[in-house]
Amino acid sequence: MTLPDGVGPLAGVKVLDLSWIVAGPTVGRAMADYGATVIRVESPTRIDTARVVGPFHGDEPGVEHSGLYGNVNAGKWGLTLDLRVPDAQEIFRRLAVWADIVCESFTAGVLARWQLDYSHLRELKPELIMLSSTLLGQNGPYNQVSGFGSQGAGMAGIQDLAGWPDRAPAGPFGPYTDYPAPRFALTALLAALDHRNRTGEGVFIDQAQAEGSMQLLAPALIDYKNGGPALQRRGNDDPQMCPHGVYPCLVPEGRTEAWVAIAVATDDQWATLAELLGAERSMSLEQRREHQKEIDAAITSWAAGMSGADIEETLQRTGISAHRLATTEDAANDPQLAHRNHFRRLPHSLHGETVVEGPRYILSDTPIQPARPAPQYGEHNLQILNGVLGRSDSEIEELAASGALS
Amino acid sequence: MLSPYRVIDLTDERGVLAGQMLADLGADVIQVEPPTGSTGRGVAPFFADRPDESIYWAAYTRGKRGTTCNLEDDRGRDLLFRLLETADFLIESSDVGRMSELELDYQTLRDRFPKLIYTSISAFGQSGPKSQYVGSDLAIWAAGTPLLMSGDDDRAPVRISQPQAWGHASGDAAGGSMLALHARHQTGHGQHVDVSAQVSAAQATLAQVLAHQLGAGDPERYGGGVKIRGQAIRGTADVADGYIVLLMGPGPAVGHFANHAVKWLVEIGAAEPELLDENFVTYADRVATGQADPALFPRIQDIMREAVATRTKQEMLDISIEYDLLLAPVLDIVDLGNSPQLEHRGFWQEIEHADGRRVTYPGPPLNILVDGQQQGICRRPPPELGQHNDAVYGELGLSTGEISRLRSEGAI
Repeated sequence: MTLPDGVGPLAGVKVLDLSWIVAGPTVGRAMADYGATVIRVESPTRIDTARVVGPFHGDEPGVEHSGLYGNVNAGKWGLTLDLRVPDAQEIFRRLAVWADIVCESFTAGVLARWQLDYSHLRELKPELIMLSSTLLGQNGPYNQVSGFGSQGAGMAGIQDLAGWPDRAPAGPFGPYTDYPAPRFALTALLAALDHRNRTGEGVFIDQAQAEGSMQLLAPALIDYKNGGPALQRRGNDDPQMCPHGVYPCLVPEGRTEAWVAIAVATDDQWATLAELLGAERSMSLEQRREHQKEIDAAITSWAAGMSGADIEETLQRTGISAHRLATTEDAANDPQLAHRNHFRRLPHSLHGETVVEGPRYILSDTPIQPARPAPQYGEHNLQILNGVLGRSDSEIEELAASGALS
Repeated sequence: MLSPYRVIDLTDERGVLAGQMLADLGADVIQVEPPTGSTGRGVAPFFADRPDESIYWAAYTRGKRGTTCNLEDDRGRDLLFRLLETADFLIESSDVGRMSELELDYQTLRDRFPKLIYTSISAFGQSGPKSQYVGSDLAIWAAGTPLLMSGDDDRAPVRISQPQAWGHASGDAAGGSMLALHARHQTGHGQHVDVSAQVSAAQATLAQVLAHQLGAGDPERYGGGVKIRGQAIRGTADVADGYIVLLMGPGPAVGHFANHAVKWLVEIGAAEPELLDENFVTYADRVATGQADPALFPRIQDIMREAVATRTKQEMLDISIEYDLLLAPVLDIVDLGNSPQLEHRGFWQEIEHADGRRVTYPGPPLNILVDGQQQGICRRPPPELGQHNDAVYGELGLSTGEISRLRSEGAI
């Protein structure tokens, strides 16, 4: 029994996903969502970190409990391979020939040692499309830096820019370079697929995840490189908005804190807010920034007796940008996210049901639902080895005995 | 790779990166601005030597051509329609409802341009109870949940000082548009791609946005690290000239990095050689069964922090590569500007502006080989206001006289 095609614009597209943790798997997830047949290869002896990072089902750690792993691998088929074993390398080679697209995120040079890098695979299949995604790229003096997106955040300048000017950087939440990088990779892979379909030409994409994140710092980088100042972390200050900050508000029962974000962009918005605060209505941005401390204090005392939800609704009704700092419970109950059907419940053989995020775009004529939850270890080994590669039961047993599947 | 395709880019500062991503992959992207210029031209920072010229706008219009078109004027709208006849994609990021007011929303255009892929970027999405909310980087980051997770535990949550939310949304818009292109290959029809920046921001939580629904606890913010399940994990350490990101932990996923760190600490004489016998991959399990000392790992973390404190970011980067450690320097903008890695990869691109200035840009976001041939970024400088009116409208068959009449009538 071979793997059935998916449903959607990428139906029939075959992806061999050897990437791990978040930045790479997120790309394969998006392609699986839209119909591609994605085989996720991993080794239970070198555990994917995403499997041991929460949030866990029922707050219970375990390699089959991770909501993170589930979120970035839903819809894929699972195969276990230990690529250090020659028989596993041969399986991988066969699957690369089967595939339209190979995604991997090993430290630069590792696949080359096994002769499984792009230059070798291209000899087997010239029209192959391949993504190699690492923190800092395939070449350069620091291409051997390995690690997670947290290290990437450090080396992409993001870590340094999140926090208060009088303190060490607080940094963003989590491995930040894992967040922008998949957007660039997915867009390029889909362009490569389009190009290959028209021309038959293969494509290799060398992604430095840090360089993807740095696209979101481009204004600061251009400023510094062209004689301007080097941007430094500045709390929640914004040079073109005031007031602009995160303010404490009424703490609901059962919680220890609550906050609301308020961003005032125009003089008119300020006049409206000033009326609520009993402050001077006619103040320019410069004047407001001069009196920022007093304004922040006035907002803090106004907000103290109101819930974040009330403040958000009151200000949004009058055209001022505001939102409570959503907890994950708020997100679960957010009517807007519900309207977009953002959280998708999928039946799960271990957990009864799991929940993953939907795609981050709604295509009006191409609705999707992930076909299945993320694979458990080796869940589809037989289907893939037999159905796709035609290995017999006894051959599969031999493979297992050689350690190729562990 | 995308050279057969044309993008009509009506975005302002909120969606301007999306078209650039397609331009860097080869698409012909035409940024269409109102005759008075996009509001994006007013977004900070500004060039040190040109205080009126927005670096933000330049950063994300590099690679595009630029025209002006008055969408409130019938002649301007006719011109847009003629452009759309030649286009595959339209991308817009205006306030929700604005395109309907202009009768340029997807529902209105779909019959006339059935193959058009129409991508909308907004703070919360095109419909739903919050679709009319006023978006801002800070409010979107709050609504998507990453903001509450970021910052020091004794102060208010804090954002990244270069706004990020619209960039994430623009990245999703580019990906969603490409998926719609593949759908068009299948069906022959375009469609509407609706991107919500709130949803895009939720991506920046490492799936913690799902925590409540999975029955897990929310992560709590903790400067330079995270508190999860009551345990505070510091993610940064002080070094002689700044900070490093330092992740040390036992366990099957990262324990081997801790073993490598111990090897380094022993070699520099900071830790006793007997520690080389300890295996931090299995340590946590053995602590749980009483076979290993729970105080050992915290002690090694302390030794590590002491050892790195006297060394520089650069020294620690070199040591990290040599010993395969989980650490990296916290680079600031100056460090990035002088990074040998970025230099080696040809990250910085000098591009000549229309006025002759040479300006250094970051990019490309990816290093791409097509059929073995290296591709570059699109080196077209950011367009001056209406710079390509003659060229683009000329391609539609308008004469110079017609174009100047449209200009004098305020249509472009």
